[in-house]
Parts: sequence; C-alpha cells; structure tokens
Amino acid sequence: MSGSKEDDRKGSSEWRDFFWNPRTHELLGRTAASWGLILLFYLIFYLCLAGMFAFTMYILLLTLDDYKPTWQDRLATPGMMIRPKGNQLEITFSTSDTESWDGFIHNLNSFLSPYNDSYQVQTNDECTPDEYFIQEDSGEVRNNPKRSCQFNRTMLEECSGVLDRFYGYDKGQPCILIKLNRVIGMLPGKERQSPYVTCAAKREDSDKIGPLAYYPPNGTFNLMYYPYYGKKAQVNYTQPLVAVKFLNASLNTDINVECKVTSNTLAAGSDRDKFAGRVSFKLRINDK
Amino acid sequence: RSPKKKKGATKDMDDLKKEVPIVSKRFLFFLRIGLTNAKAAEFLLRDGPNALTPPPTTPEWVKFCRQLFGGFSILLWTGAILCFLAYAIQAATEDEPAGDNLYLGIVLTAVVVITGCFSYFQEAKSSKIMESFKNMVPQQALVIREGEKVQINAEEVVAGDLIEVKGGDRIPADIRVTSAHGCKVDNSSLTGESEPQSRSPDCTHDNPLETRNVAFFSTNCVEGTARGIVICTGDRTVMGRIATLTSGLETGKTPIAREIEHFIHIITGVAVFLGVTFFILAIILGYTWLEAVIFLIGIIVANVPEGLLATVTVCLTLTAKRMAKKNCLVKNLEAVETLGSTSTICSDKTGTLTQNRMTVAHMWFDNQIHEADTTEDQSGAAFDKSSVTWLSLSRVAALCNRAQFKAGQDSVSILKRDVAGDASESALLKCIELSCGSVRMMRDKNKKVAEIPFNSTNKYQLSVHETEDPNDNRYLLVMKGAPERILDRCSTIMLQGKEQPMDEEMKEAFQNAYMELGGLGERVLGFCHVLLPEDQYPKGFAFDTDDVNFQTDNLCFVGLISMIDPPRAAVPDAVGKCRSAGIKVIMVTGDHPITAKAIAKGVGIISEGNETVEDIAARLNIPVSQVNPRDAKACVIHGSDLKDLSQDQMDDILRNHTEIVFARTSPQQKLIIVEGCQRLGAIVAVTGDGVNDSPALKKADIGVAMGISGSDVSKQAADMILLDDNFASIVTGVEEGRLIFDNLKKSIAYTLTSNIPEITPFLFFIIVNIPLPLGTITILCIDLGTDMVPAISLAYEAAESDIMKRQPRNPARDKLVNERLISIAYGQIGMIQALGGFFAYFVILAENGFLPSQLVGIRLNWDDRSLNDLEDSYGQQWTYEQRKIVEFTCHTAFFVSIVVVQWADLIICKTRRNSVFQQGMKNKILIFGLFEETALAAFLSYCPGMDVALRMYPLKPTWWFCAFPYSFLIFVYDEARKLILRRNPGGWVEKETYY
Repeated sequence: MSGSKEDDRKGSSEWRDFFWNPRTHELLGRTAASWGLILLFYLIFYLCLAGMFAFTMYILLLTLDDYKPTWQDRLATPGMMIRPKGNQLEITFSTSDTESWDGFIHNLNSFLSPYNDSYQVQTNDECTPDEYFIQEDSGEVRNNPKRSCQFNRTMLEECSGVLDRFYGYDKGQPCILIKLNRVIGMLPGKERQSPYVTCAAKREDSDKIGPLAYYPPNGTFNLMYYPYYGKKAQVNYTQPLVAVKFLNASLNTDINVECKVTSNTLAAGSDRDKFAGRVSFKLRINDK
Repeated sequence: RSPKKKKGATKDMDDLKKEVPIVSKRFLFFLRIGLTNAKAAEFLLRDGPNALTPPPTTPEWVKFCRQLFGGFSILLWTGAILCFLAYAIQAATEDEPAGDNLYLGIVLTAVVVITGCFSYFQEAKSSKIMESFKNMVPQQALVIREGEKVQINAEEVVAGDLIEVKGGDRIPADIRVTSAHGCKVDNSSLTGESEPQSRSPDCTHDNPLETRNVAFFSTNCVEGTARGIVICTGDRTVMGRIATLTSGLETGKTPIAREIEHFIHIITGVAVFLGVTFFILAIILGYTWLEAVIFLIGIIVANVPEGLLATVTVCLTLTAKRMAKKNCLVKNLEAVETLGSTSTICSDKTGTLTQNRMTVAHMWFDNQIHEADTTEDQSGAAFDKSSVTWLSLSRVAALCNRAQFKAGQDSVSILKRDVAGDASESALLKCIELSCGSVRMMRDKNKKVAEIPFNSTNKYQLSVHETEDPNDNRYLLVMKGAPERILDRCSTIMLQGKEQPMDEEMKEAFQNAYMELGGLGERVLGFCHVLLPEDQYPKGFAFDTDDVNFQTDNLCFVGLISMIDPPRAAVPDAVGKCRSAGIKVIMVTGDHPITAKAIAKGVGIISEGNETVEDIAARLNIPVSQVNPRDAKACVIHGSDLKDLSQDQMDDILRNHTEIVFARTSPQQKLIIVEGCQRLGAIVAVTGDGVNDSPALKKADIGVAMGISGSDVSKQAADMILLDDNFASIVTGVEEGRLIFDNLKKSIAYTLTSNIPEITPFLFFIIVNIPLPLGTITILCIDLGTDMVPAISLAYEAAESDIMKRQPRNPARDKLVNERLISIAYGQIGMIQALGGFFAYFVILAENGFLPSQLVGIRLNWDDRSLNDLEDSYGQQWTYEQRKIVEFTCHTAFFVSIVVVQWADLIICKTRRNSVFQQGMKNKILIFGLFEETALAAFLSYCPGMDVALRMYPLKPTWWFCAFPYSFLIFVYDEARKLILRRNPGGWVEKETYY
C-alpha cells in the first residue's frame, strides 16, 4: 500500500519534472535551446515545403487555359435550375397571403433585372435566331471581347413581370423560370432545332397539374444564345430563359413537377443526377 | 503407526521424516497385505484421484474476449463507439444524416473482431500443439491390496497404498520406501540432478528432498525394484505443490504489450490534442457546438490507424511461424518479441547446453591421456586405437558392463540407440561399440561366469569370464570402479601391452591423470583385469559372489576412462553470439559445481581467461578470503551459499560478475535468481525442463520449456517451447525477436505516416471551407487496403546491421514508438505526403474549372443539395451531383497520390540508418507490396461499378503523376537525412530523427 502511494507521488513528481524541470531548465523535456533548434528546423522545413508547393501550384496554373477549362466531360449534360428558388426547391404559397409569395416576387424581380429590354439593347446584339452565334478566334489572335445576343425580358410575356407585376402568384397561376446551366462551348441542338423545355407532373400528380403555358413560345432556348465562351471572353452573356405558367393547378395539394429539356445533341443525364437536363420541384398553391 | 494417519491431507515436508521409524507388528502385517479394497475406495472418495489438478485454464470465451478487448483493440473500440455516437448525434439532428460515421464505426468494429478472431485462432493453434505433447496413455501402477498384487490405473492410487515399482516405471505418487533392491530413481525433473539417486529404506537426511527413503511422484525409477507406502497423492505431492506454486505466480506484461500501451498513449495524446484544438477552432470559426463535437470525434477517429492492429498481429504471426521452423514454438504471440529484448538467459545445463547423455570423453592408458570424440555426429578426431593396452581396456569396459542395446535398433546409428542400463555403462557400451565393433559378439566369446554388481560400499563392479581362446582354460576377471579403489587392488599396470609393476612413479602419474580428468568435471572410472591362474581356478570353478572365494587384489591396472555429458556442438557458438549480443548467459544447474564449471568453460559461459575467485586464489596461492571479489569476472555459486545470501549480496553478485554459474540449486533458488535479475531491470529468459523449473519459467519474462525432455507442467508454465531442446535455438529466437522489433518500428512508421495526409484534408475542410479533399471511404481504402501488404512486407525486411552485435534493447529508453518516430512520420514525411495529395486535389479541381482561389469558403454552397447552378471560375454552372463527382474524383486522386507517396515512404522505411542503396531491394514481398498497392489503387479507380460501390472514379492518366515530385522529394529528403545521420553519429539529426 505504502509502496504504491510512494510510486504515485514519484509518478506525479516525474510528471511535474517533465513539464518543467527547474534543475535542468527543461520545459516538456527540452531546454530552451533545444526547443529553439527544433522549432527553427520545422520552420525552415515547412517554409521549404511551402515553397515547393507554391512552385508546383505555379506550374499547374501555367498549364491552365484562361478561357476554357481542361476537362468538361463531367458537364456533358447541362444542369437545369428554376427561379424562384424556394427552400429545397419547394414553391409553396397562398394566393390570399401576400407575404407568402412576396419573397418569390422579389427574387424574380432581381433575377430578371439584367434582362430589362433597355439594358439588353444597350449591351447586347440582335442576332439571327435559330443559328449558332459563332465567334471563333483566328489562331493566336483572340477575338475578344465576344458579343452576346439579347434576351429581352419582354420575351417572357405574361411571366416577364412587366405585364403582371406579381407573375400570376396572386391569382394562383404562378410563373416559374427555367434555365439551362452554362457550359462553355456547348452546342445544344443541330439542324436549327433549338432545345425546348417540357414540364409534366410526376405520375400520381398528373391530374392535378392543369394546363401550362410556355414563354417564349414552345419553351425553346434559341440556338443563337450558344455557344457560350466563358465569363472572361463573353462578359455580358445573357442566359436564355424559359418561363412556365401554371394556368390551373389544383389547389391545396402538393404537385411534383419535373421539367425536361429535349435536344437532339445533348445526352440524357444519368439517373443519379436529378438535375442534369431536367429539374424537379414541388409546387403547392393554397387558397387561404 | 497406522497408515491411515499418514495421509493427513496437508502434510508438511518435515513430517515425512517423523514417519521413518515405523515399526509395529500391525505395520509389518500391512506390508504384506496392503489396504483393503473398501478402505482404498473410501480414501479415494475422500482425497480424490491421484492426479494433478490441471492449472485453472482460462475459459475459451475469456481468452477470446482478451483478444477482443486487450491492448490495441481498446483504441479501435473507442473509435468505433465515438463513430456510432457521432452518427447518433447526426441522425438525431439532421434529416438526411451522412452515413460516413456509421460505416466507419461498422468497419472499425469489423476490424477489431476479425483481428481478434485471427489472433485467437493463432493462439488456439499453438495451444493445440501443446496438448499434443501431453501423454495421453493412462499410467498404470502396481499396488498390493488385500494381499494381492493388482495393476490399477495410477489415478486410483490412494494414500496408504502399498506400491511396487521397478526399473522403467514412473513413480505414481510420493512414496516412503520400505524395501528396495538396487533401486535408483531419476529425480532430474524435480531437483535437476542428472545422476540417478539410489533409494533405500534408511532415512539419510532431514530434508525430504534429499533423504533416500522417499521417492517422488512423476519421477522415474531407472533400475532395481522398490516397495513403499504412498504418503501423498495428487496435488499434495511435492510435484503437485510445485505445480500449484506455479499457477499462483502472477506474470507481468510482456515487453511488447508495454510498448503497445505506450504507443496507444502517444497516439491517443496526439488525437485528443488535435481533436480538442480543432474543436475550439471550430467553435471560434462559428460552427455550432454540435458540428464541432462531430468534428472532434471525426478527428479522433481519423487518427486511429485502423490497419495497424492487424499488421502487428500478422507480423508477429509471421515471425512466430519462422521461429517454429527454427524449432522455437511460441505459445503466446507477444512472446515473439520478448525473446528479442532478453538481456539475461538463465539456462539449464542438462539437455539444453549438453547432449543429455553420458559420453566417454577421455581415457588414460599407457600413461597418456587420450581424447575421445564427444561430438554428436562423430566428426571429432579419433585417438590411436592400435595400442594393445587399449584392446585390453576396451575388453574390460565391454565385459564388465551390464548395459545392452535394446532390441531392434540395428538400423539406428550407434549413438542414437536406446540402451538398457545406467548412464555411465551405456556411455562405455557405445564407446566400445563405436571403436571396437560389436560388444555382443565380444560378450558371446567371453561367457560370463560370475558377477558382483556395483554397490556403494565396494565401489566396484567385477565379473569373471571365460577367455576368447578355447584352448586357454584360464578365467578372466575384469573389474571397474572408483579409480582409487581400483588402484588399491592393483599391483601391476599395463603399459604398451606389457604388465609392469606399479611403482611410485606410476602411482603419481595415475594421481595426476585422475586429478586432471576430475578437474574437467568428468566422472572417472578405473579399469583393471587379471587372468586367474588355471591351477587355482580350474575350469568349472564355482565362483561365489556373495562370499568372495577368489582373488580380487593384485590385479593389473589397465586404464581410466572418464565420461561427461558433453556440450552440444552448436552451444559454444550460440553462447558466443549471446555474448556479442550483450546477453548475459547464466547457468543454473542442480549438478556438482566442478562439473558445472567444466561445462560452463566448455561452452564459453565462463570464457577463456576469466577466473573465479577460487581460481585467482589458487593461482596466487592465497586464501580465498584475501581475493578481491571484484577481480573475478566469473563465479561459481553453490546452492547452499546462495541460501545464505541477502538480497543486496545477491544483487551485488549479479551486477558485478558477468559470468555466473549456479550449481546445486533448488527450484526455489532458481526463482530467486530470476527475481534478482529482474530486480536489476533485466528481461530474463529462463530455460527449464523439470517440474521444479516451472515457477521460474512462469516468473521469467519468457519461460522456455524443452519440447523433448520437458515435463508437461513446465511446458504449461512456459511461453515458448524449444522443439529440439537446443540452446542454440534460443539464440536464433533472439535474433528473430530483435529483428521483428526493428521491423515493427519500420512498419509502424510506414503506417503512421499516411495518417497525416488522411487527417489534414478534414482539418482544411473545417478551417478554410474547401470541398472535402479525402473522404472516409478512401481513408479506409488506404488503411485497410493499400497500406496493409506493404506494412506487412516490412516484417520480411532483412536486418540493417548485425543485430546480434549490439546490446539488448533497454526497455526504459528504447521504445517501439517514440517521439522521434512521430516527429518523422507526422511532422516531416506525412506533411510532404499531405502536400502531394493536396496538389492532386487542386489539379483536378482547377482542370475542371474550379481554381484554388475560388475554393476557399465555397463549402456551404458546394455541399448544398438544392444549389444546382454553382458557378465555377470560368462561368460554367454545375449541378450538385456533377460537382460531387468531381469531388469524389478528387478523393480518388488524393488516394492514388497517397499510394504514390507511400511508395517512397515504403522504400525509406526499409532502413532506419542505412541508405536504400546499401540495403538493396532484396525483399521480394516488399516489391510485391509496391505492385500490389498500385494495382489495388488502379482497380479501385477504374473498375466499373466502383463509382456506385465506393464512389471512386476513374482518373485521367496525368493525375497519377501529380504526387510524383512529392514522392521523389520524400526519397531525396530521407536519404539526405540518413546520410547526415551516418556521417555525424550522435549529432543533432540522430538525436532528433533516429527512431
């Protein structure tokens, strides 16, 4: 018993000695000089490593192209997205409750402000529809900055927010904007066939969705907005939009809607990616 | 005294001698009749069967649990529990909890259970081999009950039974001898004395172990017959008490277990330090406390080297297998390394250092000492066999000899044949058979007419034979015995075949030879003969051996033959190796000091030129008391002196003498010697075969039992069994043990290094909010996949220098894992590896459009499932799944990069001091490991379906090369470090980085 106690005391004093040994002036088993030396070593060592890393990163950046990423194979099927983007892609509101859709209106307004006709006319060109707007570089000489085509807000007609300030939300006929993700150099259609969007309800909700209206007509992304040349070359690029208006959706019920892009060049997305070439969201319109 | 009383269940040794004067009529009657069957049954019921209770064996499930929860497993269990805890927290707070922690927890559990099962079966396998040693044949005993001799199972013998034993029997219980006829017992398994002891009804000594009238349970009766009363059975026998003493001894942890504990402390320390630091950091960075707790658990778990437990087990198993091939059977895996740390070996003499068979070593005839060949394979030099004296000597030795070869051994080489007869006579028999041909033919030609066997009063043995020449009707009388007694009976001596009168000069020559041979620790016998004159002893003379009616003096002295149990051939080499390896070899024997010393000198335990106190005294011609004990490096200590030594004196002896021989030691003293060595901080290996050794075997850090001659009790107490009983095997064991310790260090250094590139991604993920560079699954792929074979292959690495030329490991200073190893693995190599991985990560993200500058702080958006138009540096937009595929490709690339940098790490871990160019790449398993990990990495990356199964994606070929510069840097850096380390021994680099 006494032996173990003694051992304990010895053990704790050993610990204290290890932490700070007043005889040898050792802190955690090392003298100041020893600490200094090892810290200096690690300082230099890490500085050298940092230098090496910086150097390899510099080499990496040298190999990169400023205008186009090295690989795009993961973007073979462009993603799709909706606006307004509700929480977890849920668009739930009550027609009578202004506050419930006020956020959506703000969201759409701010999203559409660069599409104002005045602004578009100022910065962008009018292009020939149904044709790619190709602006190739001639060899080493960059054809920059590249111009972009106009997408006027008014082309969305009922859903432009110009004719109907509330995008139909107050009447239970909400507008949803659909956009195709930007991918540099993507050519989404051939033979003057523009890709177009179709929306449908998922199986069990098909009778609830009611008629839909697409703007621009047929829900097309016109070919003239492609290809995209990247944000450095094509500063003022305006992404084409398609608006879908739910004209008579059932009230007080969840409607699962899926919108798909149909194109004769883009590969169909994999099953795992719910947002490649399609977009799903939930719509619920309450009347109170 | 009635025999009933004598079986008081708890009999003290001292009581035995009180029972010596047993004289009563009833008793004499009993001596004829024995117990009645009813009484015997009653006693059997009361005392239980006459068998040793097997040591309390740990139940199988306890052994299994010990494997499952012992040592290293605790760390993994803690990790697994933390994982489940983290998952539980996540599950309780999040809608869609990430399964990572759950998987990790399950994998950790699986790892512990699988490695636990593995080591359990490994141990079960060795204990099965153990069981095969046990003699399954039930023993029989001849008892006299109700006046009839009956053969019963030895287990049914009860105290009070009258028992008869004869040569070749095993004594079934402790017996008080009541009558004996030339009975000799071999007590070596109890006392360590190799000489058979005679047994008679007289009480000769106070100590029951020494007295002649007690024969002990499980010793062997070598020859003669005896009858006695059973005084103790089963556990109450002397043997049983020693066995009980053994099972009562607690053994400490093995050195490797202590090392692993120390290692766990370090790893846990680092993990907790990192975890807490980042917990605080996470709180400061504004994470919720719940997230911070999950990070904390994650970091602690990430620091657990999942594969290491399995690696260590496999490395030890491999070494155990390799040792088994070299005749060292290891019962307990951890004992593999213990042998390597051994700094003192206490070795038995008989059987371990020596061949355990008497062999003729020297002969003296023609006034000259001739050396016989004592080697096991008869490779030594032969002596001149042409002398006529030798022919006479060999004839005497062959005829005056009762030993004979057992039948049916013609195909066996002479030295290996079994002989019926006592050890010295067998030695003579073999020697003559070897040098002069068939002894049986010689005996057939010289028919034996009369014989007086050896007895302790005469101290000689004689026999009378007809001569070979049928025309010569004289009788030949041959005699052998104690040399001085033989000499007294001789008047002439044979020199070069001619009889010459024995003069003073010859007597002196005899004395000198006798002294010299005796001084070698050999047992010397004298031989003489005489042709009896035909006129006094005509053909058909009736020789009366009881009342000697013929001439037994005025004989012709022929020569001396001396015998010894010679050292095994490989032992002197092995002892030398031990010495250069800094291992002290102490001989502990029950034999006579002179014999012990002679053998010690023969095998080099007392090296040439080293003197004992007595030697110095003899050389300087001064009394022993005047010699300064410090001058003598060697010493021979008698067991009776040992008894009187105080603890300090004992320590003093062990500390100041490098070459120690303990002679005439008892079992308890062996234990004292072991404890003394351990007190001085030594790691002690003890060899032993007898039951008497088992307490010492148990107490020692590693007990080594003998596979052939060892008793079951000793095998049970031992950690290791020498299958060939050869001391030299211990030395190979030591070599393997030291090698595995070095290689385990390398293996651990290799495995720990990849911990840093595994944990830093998570830390950066937390601090700078970048997409996670390396996921849990890929970490597991490294720890349990690609790192495993290379880490194990390091166990096959050859030693860097002669490991048998350096001092044994100092357990206080030389740790398996020390702060220098951590500094190198974590602080230096690991950091370079992490940079390699991060570089690959940045390359992939940048080439896909996410430049490093954009990544910082992107985490929240990146991991937002509903954000499907995340913009990259080029203006492109990514869905959640698309960028996650890139992220998982990064994980794969990071993983592949770790494999690439681990190539270099594996190569640098091959050596701790030498350059790889000095060491070479001869380790084929290691080369296989390099290819295997690369192939596995490629498989994981490219095999179709891996994207779904493990979320690993194919890499562009160029991405494999991202880590190459870092791999190269590791190699160059470490080669440079080792170069400085070699150039500047004892310098700063060595002090800070030599692990």
